[in-house]
Amino acid sequence: MADTVLAERRVRADERPRAPRRARRPEWVGYLPYLLPGAVAFGVVIGYPLLTNVYFSLFKWRGGMAPLRWYGLGNYVDLLGDDKFWTSFGNSLAMIVAMVLVPTLLGLVLAAVLFDYLGRRFGPRVASVLRATYYLPQILPVAVAGVLWNWILNSQTGALNVILRGVGVETPPNWLGDPDTALPSVMLVLIWVQMGYPVVIFMAALQRVDPELYEAAELDGAGWWDRFRAITVPQIRPETFVVTLTCTVAALKVFGPIYVLTRGGPESSTLVPSYYSYLSFFDKSQVGYGSAIATVLTLVIVVVALVILGLQNRAERREREGL
Amino acid sequence: MKHHGTAAVAAATLAGALALTGCTGQSAAGGDTDDSTLTIWHYENEDSAMGKAWAKAIEIFEEEHPDVTVDVEKQTFEQIQKNAKIVLTGDDVPDVMEFNKGNATAGQLAAQGLLAPLTDAAQERGWAEKLPGSLATTATYDEQGLMGSGDWYGVPNYGEFVGVYYNKDMFADLGLEVPTTLDELEDVLAAFKAEGVTPLAEAGAEYPLGQLWYELVLAHADRALVDDYQLFANDVDFHDDAMTQATETLDEWIDKGYIAADSAALTAEDMGVSFIDGTYPIMVSGSWWFGRLATEMQADWGQFNFPGNTLHTGSSGNLWVVPANADSKSLAEDFIDITLRPEVQDVLAVEGGLPVAGDASAIEDERTRELTENFQAILDEDGLAYYPDWPVAGYYDVLVSELQSLVNRSKTPDEVLDGLQGSYEDGKADLLDG
Repeated sequence: MADTVLAERRVRADERPRAPRRARRPEWVGYLPYLLPGAVAFGVVIGYPLLTNVYFSLFKWRGGMAPLRWYGLGNYVDLLGDDKFWTSFGNSLAMIVAMVLVPTLLGLVLAAVLFDYLGRRFGPRVASVLRATYYLPQILPVAVAGVLWNWILNSQTGALNVILRGVGVETPPNWLGDPDTALPSVMLVLIWVQMGYPVVIFMAALQRVDPELYEAAELDGAGWWDRFRAITVPQIRPETFVVTLTCTVAALKVFGPIYVLTRGGPESSTLVPSYYSYLSFFDKSQVGYGSAIATVLTLVIVVVALVILGLQNRAERREREGL
Repeated sequence: MKHHGTAAVAAATLAGALALTGCTGQSAAGGDTDDSTLTIWHYENEDSAMGKAWAKAIEIFEEEHPDVTVDVEKQTFEQIQKNAKIVLTGDDVPDVMEFNKGNATAGQLAAQGLLAPLTDAAQERGWAEKLPGSLATTATYDEQGLMGSGDWYGVPNYGEFVGVYYNKDMFADLGLEVPTTLDELEDVLAAFKAEGVTPLAEAGAEYPLGQLWYELVLAHADRALVDDYQLFANDVDFHDDAMTQATETLDEWIDKGYIAADSAALTAEDMGVSFIDGTYPIMVSGSWWFGRLATEMQADWGQFNFPGNTLHTGSSGNLWVVPANADSKSLAEDFIDITLRPEVQDVLAVEGGLPVAGDASAIEDERTRELTENFQAILDEDGLAYYPDWPVAGYYDVLVSELQSLVNRSKTPDEVLDGLQGSYEDGKADLLDG
């Protein structure tokens, strides 16, 4: 009796490790159905439009029921010789400066100042009120922000120029109307819009940093700037990568602010790729050409995102090895 | 984090769109299959001239077709403008809808096979006689979507044109008369400038500056040039007399300060507001400003046609079109016919809506009568020359951009004309081989 039980047990114990091999079903197969909703949503919202867009970009097409005429890579060849296309991507660099570089650097300093200087001297409430103030432009719909800034920057009746004339400037700059000042003006507005995002993320990150590090550094006689450089910046590096990545993607595909502020003008000086694509696709009904611009933009965004993710992985690996 | 939000909104919108198409899938497709409802889409306000006239038309239609339910769906201009291409390919389309006229708009839909031809109806019902010459041009489109020949695809009810609005008080202050020639207009501009007043309200970021440029072109042009430029009858030389003189005159006006140097980024709204508040004495713009000025302007004002011109910027108004997939086309034609009747056209006239077949003498309001008579005078000379941005798709942005560089003094008239010609020829080539 006891022997049989033991034998049975032995058999079962023998079976157990063999079971998965017999079914030849790796463990993750069971999870697949749970991925289905996500996969369907991805397919419908991203995959299908993306492929359709690439498909359209190979044709000359006016849209609707008009015939599609095969053009091969012709649209892409045309892009290479199109000054406006290059202007728009050149302006993307300016957008990266305005939406990534400046807000991230300024945001880092501001977050640190708010967190461990103002927060400590005037209490956490002052810091969070200020943080909310910086974040306000992010909540404001871009259409509202655009109307607001259009009103401020209007060459004749705008608040800024009225003030400038009031203090004796006879011909104040035509902020959004002069090709030389339009892009910098748009950049300033974007910095204002974008600023709050890194500040909020960085302040959240700073709460994660062990206060003992700061205390130890302070005991060792490190000043604010030394602590900022040696502790704050390296400790919140993961958040910096996240902010850089999301903001770079946002900068490359920026559309709303350009649409409400300048519509790519004056004289095409503030054209950006997504607006140029929209213009070609809808206003000019050059569907293939607009799709080609969108495809190139998508590729650029994917490459840039991969580079940033690669850099982040390398930095994390180094950190682990360092520890 | 912004990006997750966007994705979620997109997903929700998509789900909503799927749900909507789900519940409207049962409507009949093609042919005259539904004789119990007439679905109308338009985008005019209820209290506008068009809104009132069409309410009258619907009333008459309902009296004459007691068994038919009229279903009016209010849209917005932008909605129809951007989505028509997509919406009209489906089966759930209106029987008759208002649409913008021109090569780049109604012409495109016609070329894409999305609109039903109305030529037979136009002959049988006499629309072709009521809407002669330059009014019919915008109603007919050929296979490539170019206006001026081919089948009838739309029917206009009203017109619009660009003229000169002037501030009578400011004219009276300087003892100035209404100019009747371009030279006299220049004298008026000079007189205001001499007093330190910038005479012309302008807007470089939108349509007004392009329309002023076109009025100046028309001052030196004949109908043949209009046919070449708008209908591609012959090639256009942008460095010919008319366009060169127009561009140089505009350049001179900017140089002399008749147009404010900082107007490159101003919008039509900015222009209108500064004319209304009396900053500028003269505004060259369209009849669509009439109602706004009538209700908002404090100073005394009037309107005259661009001095000396026989050709004027302007055209028929938006069109009634019948989608190819509409299911009650003959009802739609009945409705269109009603909108051209005197009862409906007179409502347009009284409300300042510039009827195409109305009677100005029925109008009591003095300014409305003046406007309508000015328009009738243009129609009598068959003087509508359409809009400068019409010939090729996307030309609006080119015009705005090139004329901005004139205001900003960053290009000479010659370079501006080169820029205008280049884009015009590219767009024309695209259209003709499309």
